[in-house]
Amino acid sequence: MLIGPFYVAHAIIALMLALIVVPLAAIPRRQSHAAFLASSALLALIFLLSAYAFLSGVDVTVFIIFHLYQFSAFFLGLFAFALLLVNALSYEHYQDFTRFSMFLSFAIVGMFVVAMANSLITILLGLELMTLPTAFMIMTSGKYHIEAAVKLFILSAIAIGALSFAIALVFPYDLQLALSPVSSSALFTGITPNAGNYLLILSIILVAAAMGFEVAAFPFNLWVPDVYQGAPGNVTALLAGINKKVAFVALMEIFFVLFVQFQPIFSPVLILLSIATMFYGNIVALVQTNVKRLLAYSSISQAGYILIGLAVATQFGIEASIVQIVAHLFMIIGAFAIVLWLESKNLRTLDDYNSLGYRNRFAAASLAILMLSMAGVPPLLGFIGKFLVFSSAIDTRALLYLAVFGIVNSFISIYYYAKVIDHMYSGRSKELLPMGRYTYAVVAVALAATILLGVYPNFLISAASAASKALLAL
Amino acid sequence: MTILIGLMLLFSALASILILALDQELSKRIALAGSGIVLAITIWILVTSLLQGSLSMGEQYPYISAFDISLQLQLTPISFILVLMTAIVAFGAVMAGNPERVREKAANALILLFEFSAIGLFASANLFIFFIFWDIGVIALFFMINILGSANRRYASIKFIIYEIFASSLLLLGIMMIYFYTPVHSFDIGAITSAASTIPQATQQMIFILMFIAFMVNMPLFPLHFWLPDAHTEASTQGSMLLSGVLTKFGAYGMLLIFTMFPIASSLAIPIALLAGFSTIYSAFVTMMQHDIKRVIAYTTIIDMGIILVAIAAMNSFGTYGAAYAMFAHGITIALLFLTVGCMHHIFGSRDMRVVKGVVSRAASTGYSFIMGVFGVTGVPLTAGFVADVLIFIGAIQAFGLAGALPLIGLLMIGAFMYLVINRSFMMTKEPSQPVEYIGIEQQLGYAFLMGSMLLFGIFPFLLLGFANL
Repeated sequence: MLIGPFYVAHAIIALMLALIVVPLAAIPRRQSHAAFLASSALLALIFLLSAYAFLSGVDVTVFIIFHLYQFSAFFLGLFAFALLLVNALSYEHYQDFTRFSMFLSFAIVGMFVVAMANSLITILLGLELMTLPTAFMIMTSGKYHIEAAVKLFILSAIAIGALSFAIALVFPYDLQLALSPVSSSALFTGITPNAGNYLLILSIILVAAAMGFEVAAFPFNLWVPDVYQGAPGNVTALLAGINKKVAFVALMEIFFVLFVQFQPIFSPVLILLSIATMFYGNIVALVQTNVKRLLAYSSISQAGYILIGLAVATQFGIEASIVQIVAHLFMIIGAFAIVLWLESKNLRTLDDYNSLGYRNRFAAASLAILMLSMAGVPPLLGFIGKFLVFSSAIDTRALLYLAVFGIVNSFISIYYYAKVIDHMYSGRSKELLPMGRYTYAVVAVALAATILLGVYPNFLISAASAASKALLAL
Repeated sequence: MTILIGLMLLFSALASILILALDQELSKRIALAGSGIVLAITIWILVTSLLQGSLSMGEQYPYISAFDISLQLQLTPISFILVLMTAIVAFGAVMAGNPERVREKAANALILLFEFSAIGLFASANLFIFFIFWDIGVIALFFMINILGSANRRYASIKFIIYEIFASSLLLLGIMMIYFYTPVHSFDIGAITSAASTIPQATQQMIFILMFIAFMVNMPLFPLHFWLPDAHTEASTQGSMLLSGVLTKFGAYGMLLIFTMFPIASSLAIPIALLAGFSTIYSAFVTMMQHDIKRVIAYTTIIDMGIILVAIAAMNSFGTYGAAYAMFAHGITIALLFLTVGCMHHIFGSRDMRVVKGVVSRAASTGYSFIMGVFGVTGVPLTAGFVADVLIFIGAIQAFGLAGALPLIGLLMIGAFMYLVINRSFMMTKEPSQPVEYIGIEQQLGYAFLMGSMLLFGIFPFLLLGFANL
């Protein structure tokens, strides 16, 4: 290895700190461009470093609370890449980018902290650090957004509360907060472990509930449509594209490291969550007319597909979920980039999207491909994700029904995805609708990822496989 | 190891992308070049195999190594018949063009994309690849209906995609179950065929029924055919040619695959043949209620596909080759019929058989081509349809006794009705309709090309059946 693993990890942490400082420095003179360039450069550096760390197979613990191994390096790299996209989107959207950039950089650090967490407290703090600035981002975007901000704030506070309580309940078992398999008997005198281990079960359910809020699983998803619709499109892209995935990472870290021996207990919980989430998201999406709301429900259902792989809880299942996470991340960022751009032209509903196919051919074709990918049409990335997730369920034999539910949902969803495409190619208005430079670039990157990784998924699948093996310490 | 199948896929995909990237004016030339090259390659394969006396080809390209999936392509005599059909129909559709000349660029790009998917599907030796090509084809035709269709296209296209995605969902489930329930863990059709008997009976039945329903939607067969009349009526002329000519064969080819793959098929053959026969006769009655000639032709597709399924369910070599030959004949003939009806609509502004009169005297080429097409559909000797019908009914009678000939009733009924249409509408000399538009040389070349292929393979069936051991 060219650079020692220890230095790589330290460099990443140093860059994270720099990310916080740089936008702060840019605020007094409102140097938007400088803030954008600096944060992009830092993110790109983090991406490169974590890619290097991933490829060279690092495994190092830093300051006890951070753990840089293939799993965390994979997600560090993924988030850094996705954040580059969101950063560019936001830069084009705001007059004064510096204030937004400050909130964004705090949230970014939160995400990276969760991805690298080696302790329950790190996860808790990271999630907090991620969601609070997101609420501020929405709040400072204008007075119409306050409702969404308050909803997000209150519900994430509840989620954090539930997670803290869950952590408190686990503590007596090992008297430590490190992310390592919890022993099944309480060390703390005063608690008598009985056959059921009720405290642990309660803790698992609370974690599932807290993460249910964050990943928007039914029945914890009621905030999603309002917040997604109320927030400006770039923040929605951040929420749906990255925040949700960070929560999935936290979920994986807690369930597959901490509670790894209790798979028979948490699996049924996740199965129920995933089935309910898929059906709820897809069925409600059928009747939506606002595109942003439609995408919000669609991303709820996509969370359901991701949960299938986690509920299966085998190495293959986790690998499949990771692929589906990557797929949804690119698809939803691309889609919300287009939605944000159209929103700035005051086009919001399905009827407003009529004849988009003739007004901006690139945007319509990209949105159509992203929609088809979300619906799981081969050979796009969304199909690969769904295929792996359903396969992982069938692979266990016992969970065949989960794959059947998934496929039924995949079928239901084609209606509303096709409806969006149908609207874009109806009507014959020829009035051109130009797209901003950065939006164009973001959409192009998301589209390229969706198509290329779909047509040739080898690299992604083997990376996901390495990450899942690292997580399970196989 | 050859690279010919890969080249066909490459050229059709490349042409499709080039058309999208370049100007409208060039689109037709590129499309002609692309589909012409594909046709030339198929003819080259045909000629060399005729000289060698055998046809079998296999190619393999790396794809998803994590699951041992590679792009396995093969040509057997049966799949070659369908690939040739696809090449002919696509070339014919491109050559004839759209009489209305609207959105030629989109139309040509989608035709080439569809040709890519159809050739890939018929040549695939791997169920995963089969599924991928299946969905690409469906999506290409969805856009073909949605963007290029007529007034009611939005309703028809959404209906089409819902039915087709329903089918492909079941297909996907079936394929994944095959992968995980066969001990070999493979998508390779050959490997599955040899290992299928080790799958437990109940699971095998479940997989078979899942895939059967998927293919049934696509073919289509009686209770699940409701997408077809709407999709055909609303699609553009070229769209209908491909829909009926090629897309419905996806399902029929899939039926052939599952009947050869699963040993359990033999126990289900008789109920399936009954269903297919019923579908034939039911749609013959429905056809007689139609006045829109395009709808009439759409329903004859259901009739013919029912007969094809009877032949497949016979599970003997006459039935199998008969089914493949019938798909070939039907694909070309129905494309010709849809082309003539599209031109007729363009010329007279209507497709209603009660309104349009005297096509033969006012638009001779269109009228006579339609009549030739009806000859082909009803299996008049010297057309490819005749050869197909002979093979099919020999196979069906071998397998089911004289009852196997019952679907002939449907064929006779539709034949009688079609000649009635010709008599009342095409040949009627009293008060002929006035043409409002004229068609160009391109459409007439399209007629000639499709008619020529229909007759060529009707007069010289050994060109394709020489490889079969009948």
